Amino acid sequence: MTQPATARRLKFEIFRFNPEDENSEPHIDSFEIDETPFMSLYIALNRIREVHDPGLQFDFACRSAICGSCGMMVNGRPALACRTLTSDLPEDIQLYPLPAFKLIGDLSVDTGTWFRGMAERTEAWIHERQPFDPEAEEERMSDDIAAAIYEGDRCIECGCCVASCGVANLDPEFLAGAGLNRVARFMMDPRDQRSDAEWFEVVAGDEGVFGCVGMMACADVCPKELPLLEVYAYLRRKTLGARFMARNTKKKSA
Amino acid sequence: MASRAPISLDQGAAATSSARRQLLYEAISGGTGLLLAVFMWGHVVLVGSILTGERGFDWLATMLEDYYIAQPTVIAVFALFLVHAVFASRKIPSQLRDRKRILKLAKGLNRSGREKVATRTEHSPFRPHVESLLWIWQVRTGMVLLVLGSFHLVLLGLDIFTPLFGDLAGIESSSSMARVSAGLWLPYAVLLLCVEFHASVGLYRLAVKWGADLWMSRATMHRVEQLIFWVVLGLGTLTLVVLAGWMEPPLAFLLDGAAP
Repeated sequence: MTQPATARRLKFEIFRFNPEDENSEPHIDSFEIDETPFMSLYIALNRIREVHDPGLQFDFACRSAICGSCGMMVNGRPALACRTLTSDLPEDIQLYPLPAFKLIGDLSVDTGTWFRGMAERTEAWIHERQPFDPEAEEERMSDDIAAAIYEGDRCIECGCCVASCGVANLDPEFLAGAGLNRVARFMMDPRDQRSDAEWFEVVAGDEGVFGCVGMMACADVCPKELPLLEVYAYLRRKTLGARFMARNTKKKSA
Repeated sequence: MASRAPISLDQGAAATSSARRQLLYEAISGGTGLLLAVFMWGHVVLVGSILTGERGFDWLATMLEDYYIAQPTVIAVFALFLVHAVFASRKIPSQLRDRKRILKLAKGLNRSGREKVATRTEHSPFRPHVESLLWIWQVRTGMVLLVLGSFHLVLLGLDIFTPLFGDLAGIESSSSMARVSAGLWLPYAVLLLCVEFHASVGLYRLAVKWGADLWMSRATMHRVEQLIFWVVLGLGTLTLVVLAGWMEPPLAFLLDGAAP
């Protein structure tokens, strides 16, 4: 494909800092490259690394918005570098690492520790109470529930929702969009036998859904467009319901 | 973070009571906010009776006071106001450094995707986002409301319960208009703008928080919020202008035939 006549010269301002290097100071480096047709930030960053600075650190693996490793702040908003076309951006592009995560270097952050901590604290796996019976037929699940669970499982753990969340930026324990989406996914799953009362502690605790102040950024920046606000509303209502149920049971048994 | 024990299953009573508290706080801050917003609409409509002239305003004020509706309402609203302030403010970061961080984040989110880009495709992942900045403005207007709202509630409490203003204990159009035209219109204009913004954005947020997928889409909720904001702000502004004496009551003809 030939270059369009209006090809732009893109000016990048990129955050640079290597915490491993004692002599490294946080600063901004400027790079200029020519825009090419259908250029994504992933292509642009590789071009910068090729042409200007081989030492530039950033993460990527799949280039198709599945691995979730190329999340970064693009002109003030968390986005996946591979899914963002430069044609959707002005000529001046500022790139920063995602906040709320530990910086590895330049644009590369460690989302893994956060997500592992979240998964361990919410025990994000199926809690089966019966002993496993290899002879038994698998339990059936309705299509609606399966679809709802699948919807939640589309999360790629890129950390964009966490980085966009004011609360998660100040409180590293807050579960944020990705964490509460995961909780909701297991709450909906009929194979998980945790009771409403047990869920109540996970969801309504200090770092759960009531830590959210309702800024709604998580849903607006999610590259997979997960229905995070619906998830939050579902959890809030479930929690309120569980509280009322617990109270009624107590009254009945008293 | 990784060193922290799991929060679920068997941490027992401490975790449960903390979780219950969180739910209670959220319910209190949302519930009092909802009640105050509903009260504010009624309030603007009632004060709007000045649009029919001083007679209509005085008749309504006397009626509400004679039947002892106004007096307990002032006390109840003041109580709700204080409770809401305590519980809604629990989420405001106390450190200036933290507030600056949130502000920077919100400004970036608000700005991004709004730049004029000739080459922008229809597949742009940058959906407009204003709600983070709206939250910060809710905090700011909340601070203004705490000061001006308290002032207004104390002033009106004195007006209703004591003969400090006018001839008798109670609200009268003559003393109210004298106060507003003498200069009270300025803090009242600020109060009106802040209260309508704070209430409409707060209701929008409350609706999304508890029912994002239930009654209507978020976009519709946002439009309803903006409609409510402009309608109530318009009515309130008109009321304030008439109270300040800058305009004749536009609905005075409604009471032309009424007995004095």
